[in-house]
Amino acid sequence: MTKLTRRTFNGLLGTAGLVSAFGISGCANGPAGPHVVVVGGGFGGATAAKYIRRRDPNMRVTLIESSKVFHTCPFSNAVLAGFKDMAYITKSYDRLASAHGVNVVNDTVVAIDPAKKTVTTKGGATFTYDRCIVSPGIDFKWGALPGYDQAASEIMPHAWKAGAQTALLRKQLEAMPDGGVFVISSPGNPYRCPPGPYERAGLVAWYFKQKKPKSKILILDSKDAFAKQKLFMEGWDKAYGEMIEWVPANKNGKVLKVDAKGMVVETDFDKHKASVANVIPPQQAGAIAFAAGLTDDSGFCPIDPVTFESTRQKGIHVIGDACIAGAMPKSGYSASSQGKVAAAAVIDLLNGRKPVAPSFINTCYSLIAPDYGISVAAVYEVADGKIAGVKGSGGVSPAGANYQFRKKEADFAEGWYASVSQDCWG
Amino acid sequence: MKGRLAIPTIALAATLAVPAIAQADTRISIMADACNGCHGTDAASPGSMPGFSNKKADAIKKALMEYKAGTKEATIMNRIVKAYSDADLAAMANYFAAKNAK
Repeated sequence: MTKLTRRTFNGLLGTAGLVSAFGISGCANGPAGPHVVVVGGGFGGATAAKYIRRRDPNMRVTLIESSKVFHTCPFSNAVLAGFKDMAYITKSYDRLASAHGVNVVNDTVVAIDPAKKTVTTKGGATFTYDRCIVSPGIDFKWGALPGYDQAASEIMPHAWKAGAQTALLRKQLEAMPDGGVFVISSPGNPYRCPPGPYERAGLVAWYFKQKKPKSKILILDSKDAFAKQKLFMEGWDKAYGEMIEWVPANKNGKVLKVDAKGMVVETDFDKHKASVANVIPPQQAGAIAFAAGLTDDSGFCPIDPVTFESTRQKGIHVIGDACIAGAMPKSGYSASSQGKVAAAAVIDLLNGRKPVAPSFINTCYSLIAPDYGISVAAVYEVADGKIAGVKGSGGVSPAGANYQFRKKEADFAEGWYASVSQDCWG
Repeated sequence: MKGRLAIPTIALAATLAVPAIAQADTRISIMADACNGCHGTDAASPGSMPGFSNKKADAIKKALMEYKAGTKEATIMNRIVKAYSDADLAAMANYFAAKNAK
């Protein structure tokens, strides 16, 4: 009779899940616990994958992401302004695999079956999961703004997913003659990165001030107010004088229509001819959230605030920009913080334990110039079934602070970026 | 909790007794891990943000309490630290120190 060694035994069984049932988990063939499939490798998904493995090395984690590398939206405005390059905002998945034992798969998820607990990819692979975490980020509502479709975004870039769009907008800004008008169309709430359009205005102004000082920046807004508004306006005024003009919705700022070929952006009463136009369109959850039936009428995904499990599909958790997370803004730091909470909850649920009351942080820096930073921070908890800011804490940088304070926050912005990048992908 | 009613009483009692401590640890670890976004995983900051992976629990506690009291100069920690009770701050300091003592 042939004697089976542990190694050949595992090899013959072929299924790590079965191995653990025989009580020989923790062997050289890797973890043998439940399998979690994470869909999407941005701030949320990468963090969830890493933190599941950190918390419980017995868990098997597969991360499926359609891009080979990830370009972060944070600091993409610095790439537009020319003081950081594309390499700076490019993140690799190598360490999630090598240092954390995550099975990273480069493919696009096209379907999730909550009954069969399977995930199917464009490449034709099927993965079985015990729990699934979906972190697809945002997609654009093409056509919701008349005239603005995918073809128009090649002429008037959104640059609201970093990468090729960032490079395109940078090229246009570089080619723009001095004295040109750069128009930013800022969307209504909710959207990814609430202070992002305003950081963009300031950093492009920084670039214009040096290379094309007669140029103008016009922000046409679908809102009447925006994040860190007082601080942005104080900073713009100090650093760029009249260069930036902000037009709120109630002063005819809401863009209703664009003509990409004519480079015209239309509001109710005005037509603005742009030299370069950055149209940030209305948004919704990433495509897979719709395909998997995770969205509600808002276009985003309702979730249980403690576990991030979808209220629509059992066994599937949704984190990051795609989910409806109460008072938390749609930001990279929020997504990562939610990824950690979802990781712990998924481990607890798979081990038959009750998930604990979660705690979150969002910390967000914005730059007005490379040496002028402002911030907003908040700690969140679940109160009365909703994610809400902890009372008596959080808030924005002080108004009227001196140069040293703003410079310090700008330095911390870079430190924040180094840390959050390491915490998600490192 | 629906669907769990079939668990025998003895097994249920056992799972409730042990995780009481584990749950408290999990709560603090979740709370503390949220800090890693700014300070690096296990507070080993790779950049210009202050890290504290080489600090003892008492030193971390002292800094946190000073931020809370407003006696330590801060740009952002003063806004964040107010969200936590003194006991949770102390527990988080212990958590970070223990992680990095390993």
